[in-house]
Amino acid sequence: MVEADLSIRQRAEQLAAHLPPLLVAAERVAAVVAQGVHGRRRVGAGETFWQFRRYQPGDEIGRIDWRQSAKSMHVFVRENEWEAAESVWLWCDTSASMRFASHLAPVEKLDRARLLLLALAVLLVQGGEHVALLGADRRPSTGRATLARLAHALGRDDGLGGSLPPLIDIPRYAQIVVIGDLLSPIEDIAALIRHYTNQGVRGYLFQVLDPAEETLPFAGHTLFEGLEDEGSMLTRRAEELRKDYVARLAEHKGDLLQLARAARWRVGLHHTDRPAPEALLSIYMALAGHA
Amino acid sequence: MLTLGALAFLAPWVLLGLGAVPLLWWLLRVVPPAPLRVRFPAIRLLFGLVAQQEAAVKTPWWLVALRLALACAAIVALAHPVWEPAVPVAGSGPLILVLDDGWAAARDWEARRAAADRVLAQAERAGRPVLLVTTAPSDRDGRVPGAEVRPAAEASTIVHALRPKPWGTDRTAALAAFEAARPETGTSIWIADGVADAGAPLLAEALLSVGSLEVRIASQDDGPLVLMPPGTRSRLLEVGARRIAGDGPRAAWVRASGEDGRLLARGELVFDPGEDRAAVALDLPGEVRNLITRLDIEGERGAGATVLLDDRWRRRPVGLVSGGSLERDQPLLSDVFYVERALEPFTELRRGEIGALLANPPSVIVLADVAKIPAADLEALEPWIADGGVLLRFAGPRFAEGADELVPVRLRGGRTIGGAMSWAEPARLAPFDSSSPFAGLAIPRDVLVARQVLAEPTLDLPGKTWARLTDGTPLVTGEPRGKGWLVLVHTTANTAWSNLAISGLFVELLQRLVELSAGVPTDESEAALPPWRSLDGFGVLGPPPPAARAVPLATIDAEPPGPTRPPGYYGPAEAPRALNLGPSLAEATGLGPWPADAVVSPFGTTDEIDVQPWLVIAAILLALAELVASLAARGQILRPRPVAAAAVVLALVGATPPVGAVDDAFVIEATQDLRLAYVRTGDADVDDLTRAGLWGLGTILRARTSVEPGEPMAIDLENDELLFFPLVYWAITPDQPRPSDGARAKIDRYLKTGGILVLDTRDPDAAMGGGGASAATLRRLLRGLSIPPLVPVPHDHVLTRSFYLLDEFPGRWTGGQVWIEQTDGGVNDGVSSILVGSHDWAAAWAMDTRLQPLLPVVPGGERQREIAYRFGINLVMYATTGNYKADAVHVPTILERLGE
Repeated sequence: MVEADLSIRQRAEQLAAHLPPLLVAAERVAAVVAQGVHGRRRVGAGETFWQFRRYQPGDEIGRIDWRQSAKSMHVFVRENEWEAAESVWLWCDTSASMRFASHLAPVEKLDRARLLLLALAVLLVQGGEHVALLGADRRPSTGRATLARLAHALGRDDGLGGSLPPLIDIPRYAQIVVIGDLLSPIEDIAALIRHYTNQGVRGYLFQVLDPAEETLPFAGHTLFEGLEDEGSMLTRRAEELRKDYVARLAEHKGDLLQLARAARWRVGLHHTDRPAPEALLSIYMALAGHA
Repeated sequence: MLTLGALAFLAPWVLLGLGAVPLLWWLLRVVPPAPLRVRFPAIRLLFGLVAQQEAAVKTPWWLVALRLALACAAIVALAHPVWEPAVPVAGSGPLILVLDDGWAAARDWEARRAAADRVLAQAERAGRPVLLVTTAPSDRDGRVPGAEVRPAAEASTIVHALRPKPWGTDRTAALAAFEAARPETGTSIWIADGVADAGAPLLAEALLSVGSLEVRIASQDDGPLVLMPPGTRSRLLEVGARRIAGDGPRAAWVRASGEDGRLLARGELVFDPGEDRAAVALDLPGEVRNLITRLDIEGERGAGATVLLDDRWRRRPVGLVSGGSLERDQPLLSDVFYVERALEPFTELRRGEIGALLANPPSVIVLADVAKIPAADLEALEPWIADGGVLLRFAGPRFAEGADELVPVRLRGGRTIGGAMSWAEPARLAPFDSSSPFAGLAIPRDVLVARQVLAEPTLDLPGKTWARLTDGTPLVTGEPRGKGWLVLVHTTANTAWSNLAISGLFVELLQRLVELSAGVPTDESEAALPPWRSLDGFGVLGPPPPAARAVPLATIDAEPPGPTRPPGYYGPAEAPRALNLGPSLAEATGLGPWPADAVVSPFGTTDEIDVQPWLVIAAILLALAELVASLAARGQILRPRPVAAAAVVLALVGATPPVGAVDDAFVIEATQDLRLAYVRTGDADVDDLTRAGLWGLGTILRARTSVEPGEPMAIDLENDELLFFPLVYWAITPDQPRPSDGARAKIDRYLKTGGILVLDTRDPDAAMGGGGASAATLRRLLRGLSIPPLVPVPHDHVLTRSFYLLDEFPGRWTGGQVWIEQTDGGVNDGVSSILVGSHDWAAAWAMDTRLQPLLPVVPGGERQREIAYRFGINLVMYATTGNYKADAVHVPTILERLGE
């Protein structure tokens, strides 16, 4: 178990090594959950000098920097840089349906999802952000120990996790990142988004799909079996289902996007036949506010 | 055996199995192929979907047809069908098969054996035993093998082990063998080789007395040929051949080959109608002729069509004796120097005193200016000459003083023609008489004879004179003594008296004289020569057969070759003596006439075809097709990628696509829009990334500029035309093949006509300042292209301002140098035709369809990516507008002027 943890953690750190530390773009600046170590390049609460500003009526007298003011005609107020850490709740689908790799993909979806989650955690911790595993941790934390804890929790291979994260209460203004195949009924996903949006939490839904799930590359007499005891389905001509299936999947993805947009959440998509760095870069850029 | 028209089945009861085919059909229709089980996570989305065309639960009809065909093919194959089976031989009792296996059977042995096989197969089918009679003496014990009535299968193994013999048949002995096993009744088939011998009519009579006789024989016009050994004493290699039977026109080629099998000469033998002999003269240089070890008739096989040559046909040993002693210190004045040089190429030279030379007698002895031969040597020389030796004497100062009596003509002293004290001119040579051994040789005009020894004019002098001067005095005289010759050249062998020795004529004269000799006089002792190498029936040299015995040299040619004296080489390996079959066949005649009751037919006409192997192959192919088809029906064979399929099709058809032809579709595709092109490297990952990069750049261009490129195009340097693209992006990969000459010419033309080639070594090391293997790769790929001198991009270059103002050109990496052509403004408006860098720009530009970048940039920051995009835009602007923006460099000056 420990070895497995180490291996996925090492791979995650390797993956993360190609990207600079991730500073989550915080939108709700006023709502600081925890004081962080890195500057936000704007005025706020913090310990590092940021700028001098002309005194304006209403400023506290105690904030006047007398030494600076003495150098000129004007009175200056000293402002410090706002230093804050965002707290990010991560969650990864470990249900049985994630344990799937078709002939088109080199790895299982679960493998890729866990790797991405850990690599993301490494980047966040490097950036000084606080992270927590949704459903497992009580509160976000940072540091190497957090990574170890995350890796261990993810390595638990019980397959008992649901297809969607649990609906629990987390502090306001945090962010959640959900990595999974997101193939659950759209109502469930809507409930999820509603639940967390009501708490003032913003989220990022990252869909990891196997290329076979995208294209249904089967033909002929085929018996499809679910991975989560959903039942089975027999067809004579699997190739004839392809068109309808692709349309249905597109509809599902469209619904997902619409739901997310309405809640100002963001959505990402990754296929397991594509390289992992590409996916990580995409998550990185979404969280860093570049896209 | 069941016969249906031309088709017969040897195991007809198996055909009953065909009755089971309808049952099989029913089973196949009913049992459908099993489904393919697929575990699929997104099954929830599948529920409720219905395929429009749910096929009936049946196996497709074509698969059923395929399987039925397979079953039928297997059943019919087991029934062993035969097409046009041979008509069984009528009659009762054993089948008597007489098989000639003498030398004449070798030429078409396979056909004979096949004919025998057919006869034996018929006997086996009819269940008749076989009496096999072979007519040539065996190479084991020298006797004709005994005949015995055997089952056909056993006789077949004997026939398969039979080989033709390199000697003739002995049908008298075969008749005795037949009589010993003579059955009451029988049917005879005689596969005859066409060469008559004494026993043949008797054997035919005996066979007819038992039952019917059918003779199968090759046609007369195609009878065996015999090659005769060429004469040993002629200058040309005159090869003769004989045909045993037939009188129509016929031609054959004789080939002379060396010890290593090399073909040295070829000549055509033409038999005129009615003639049974043909000859061809091979005119070969002495050196080449000496290399010949065997002569064959092309297309014929066997000992009769092969002649082995030994030393009798080879270069002659020549002994040199000089009267003077100048050899060592002044070779050019030596008496024998020119003789040596002339004879060396085609003879074996020995030097020494006469006595020593005669211990191992040469063919020719040359005495240069030897006046008196010691009496003991004279006694030894005379019998040697009588035995076939040629003694060639040259005159000279010492010889003119007084010679001994061993000369062809009586001499009366010397004379000098021309010279300081004479008014006469040196004499020239007169043309040779037609009776002279030198007849036909051309006489060079510059050969002059200044001194000679004169002959006493006698009655027989003109007959002995082989060459004379223009005044009629003899220059070369010769006289036969026994089998040999005594020849005198009336001038010197060096240049003292004449310049004959340094003319080409001298060499030719000596060649003719050497050819007079009979070769090495053989040792006529009683010693027997052991067989060294023997010809087998097919004319291949090999170890002698067990029955071969040693043969006394004296009688080697006395008897015809046979099992105890097979044709081949005898004696020591260094100087073997050849024994050929040809001379013994000088009188051989064709077989016939046959008794009136015998049926004579050519062998190898009717041929039954065994269909079984073909049906088995068809069944196997059908089985393979069935395997593929049933997998396909279950959907387990996914559609192969089009490229792979095309490759397979091309490999199957063996065709190659036309190279160099510009495809219209490609041209239309390339010119419909402004296209960014990239070179297909063969590395799929790199190609995909480059494509994504150019696509990303195109997207950025469309968003920010008026350049609206279409989809990027991949081009193949070898086949596609580059001219349509303003910009070709070439990612360098280490294992890329170097462009061919044609492709390089195309690139050169592209660069000269204003194209821009962007070479990206994609090498972070080089970008970060190190050297790298990529530079070597680049050099390798570009070798042979006329690349202009390159310089780092100057700060004020158009590239830095063609759209954005830039001072660096980062890609995925940064920090490396970017190189462009050093232009002086003349060619292509000063636009660089080539740009070389290592920043992997395409990787920085690369984005997926959701406009997400695919790869992080190093050292990082989206600023770097943004600058990379800007560089891309500048690059495209540069490629499309050239130096248009260069004018911006002069804006300050223009503004200044306007201000004035």
